[in-house]
Amino acid sequence: MKTFSVIAGREMRLALRNRSILISAAIFAIWFPVMSAFGVAAGAGGDAATIAGGIAAITLPVGVFMGYIFCADAFLREKRDGTIETLLCTPVSLRRLWEGKAVGVAVPAYVMALISATVTIAAITAITGITVVTEPLLLLHLAAIVPVWIIASTGLIGAAQLALGMRENQILGFLLIFGFIFIILGLQEIVPGGPGVSLVTEGILAAAGIALIAFARFIAGKVTRERIVLTIP
Amino acid sequence: MNAVEVRGLSRSFGGRDILDDISFTVGHGEVFGYLGPNGAGKTTTIRILLGLLTPGAGEVRVLGRDLAADDDARAKVGVLFENNGLSDRMSATANLAYYAGLYSVDEPAERIDDLLTLVGLADRRDDLVGTYSTGMKRRLGIARAILHRPEIVFLDEPSSGLDPGAQRMVRDLIVELSRREEMTVFLNSHHLDEVQRICSSVAILAGGRIRAFDSVANLTGARDRPAVTVTLADPGDRAGASRMIEALPFVAGCDPDGEGIHCTLSDPGATPDLIAALVDAGLRIEEVRRSSRSLEEIYIEHVGSAGGGV
Repeated sequence: MKTFSVIAGREMRLALRNRSILISAAIFAIWFPVMSAFGVAAGAGGDAATIAGGIAAITLPVGVFMGYIFCADAFLREKRDGTIETLLCTPVSLRRLWEGKAVGVAVPAYVMALISATVTIAAITAITGITVVTEPLLLLHLAAIVPVWIIASTGLIGAAQLALGMRENQILGFLLIFGFIFIILGLQEIVPGGPGVSLVTEGILAAAGIALIAFARFIAGKVTRERIVLTIP
Repeated sequence: MNAVEVRGLSRSFGGRDILDDISFTVGHGEVFGYLGPNGAGKTTTIRILLGLLTPGAGEVRVLGRDLAADDDARAKVGVLFENNGLSDRMSATANLAYYAGLYSVDEPAERIDDLLTLVGLADRRDDLVGTYSTGMKRRLGIARAILHRPEIVFLDEPSSGLDPGAQRMVRDLIVELSRREEMTVFLNSHHLDEVQRICSSVAILAGGRIRAFDSVANLTGARDRPAVTVTLADPGDRAGASRMIEALPFVAGCDPDGEGIHCTLSDPGATPDLIAALVDAGLRIEEVRRSSRSLEEIYIEHVGSAGGGV
């Protein structure tokens, strides 16, 4: 457990020191919700529950995309710089290394997602005059579903970045991120009552997120030291 | 038990044999030089020893264990690759503290202080590593590699890309560490002069095979065929002196070499007799110094015949 916190702590600190990634993440975290806020406000027709659903629908893909942004610094950079080879020679198991990195980058990604949610809520409140902060399901969504999906995305993208070469990663990174967003939108659509925050939607999203974490863990377990070393550029 | 044991190791990539049935051992406490041209398979060997790659055939053991299957065993091994394993966006202290956490180093603050002083970076400890010169990064990389007091440390081209002053500093540091920390050093290097100065034994790899494996003293002939270089006060006497030396019964070979005369002796204790013979012949001697074949000559002999890399 100690090595896990050492690795996760380092990734958090490095993410917070990477100005270029922080700026990219902040721009996306603010620009995307502000642009979407007008659409949500117009489509909700003054219904607080629908507005909360719209905010939830925006925040989850933003969180997943934040995970993707921060993953590049933790996994891909270590490979590009070759420092991953030194880490693989430490007594830390490959699974523990993956877990520490995935959770370590999920934290700043989650902070950015919360900033994004705050901006979205503020923008919609400013447009409609309706306060949605007190919607319990929205709070549950932000407190539980968003972090689960961010960890699923950082875990899966991180495992892929460890296992694949640089070129494949460029292609697969986008495929994974759009795949995630497609799954989120698809799950929200198939739920009875359509997109929005409901106990059923949140339950399905939670189950799917946990299943994706389990899948990411399974994939990470298949990655070998040899695979990583042979795909170092 | 040896620190490193390699038996019948082979490995190929894409149908190309990179390593072909190589075997060698490294004793505890030795400073071992692993030599070979680019592409010879040196880094592949190190990666297999460290458990990063699997052997195609054969067996490797480091400290009697298989590092690929034994996470705990890796705690006794240090490694320095070309990239130093450091983050440019962290200070020297933070970098070392990170690895101290991964290796569960006892009293890490004291150990870090000690090592930063040893490598001469104590006054830059809080600066970001990205602001360091290549030589400073390499010294910090060495400190990182031995932070957890490993029993053996693998150094892959430790003086690569450094200026002569920094190379010397790194070389002195390796010698100091092997003495002070009593660790086995596995040194992969292109700097033959460096290897000859600090290594007790070497293996030369070329064409995927071990071409030579012995102590430096044996390989260079310093032990069984000692040699001396004689410099005469009057260079005009060299030709006559060479003919006279060649005729001496305890001289196996004589070769005028630059300013001096390079003599290979058949009897290890014959140097005083050689000096006496030269003095008796009325020759004025400027200098007599022991010499041997350089490791570079040995290297070229083996690598040249094998055609270099694979």
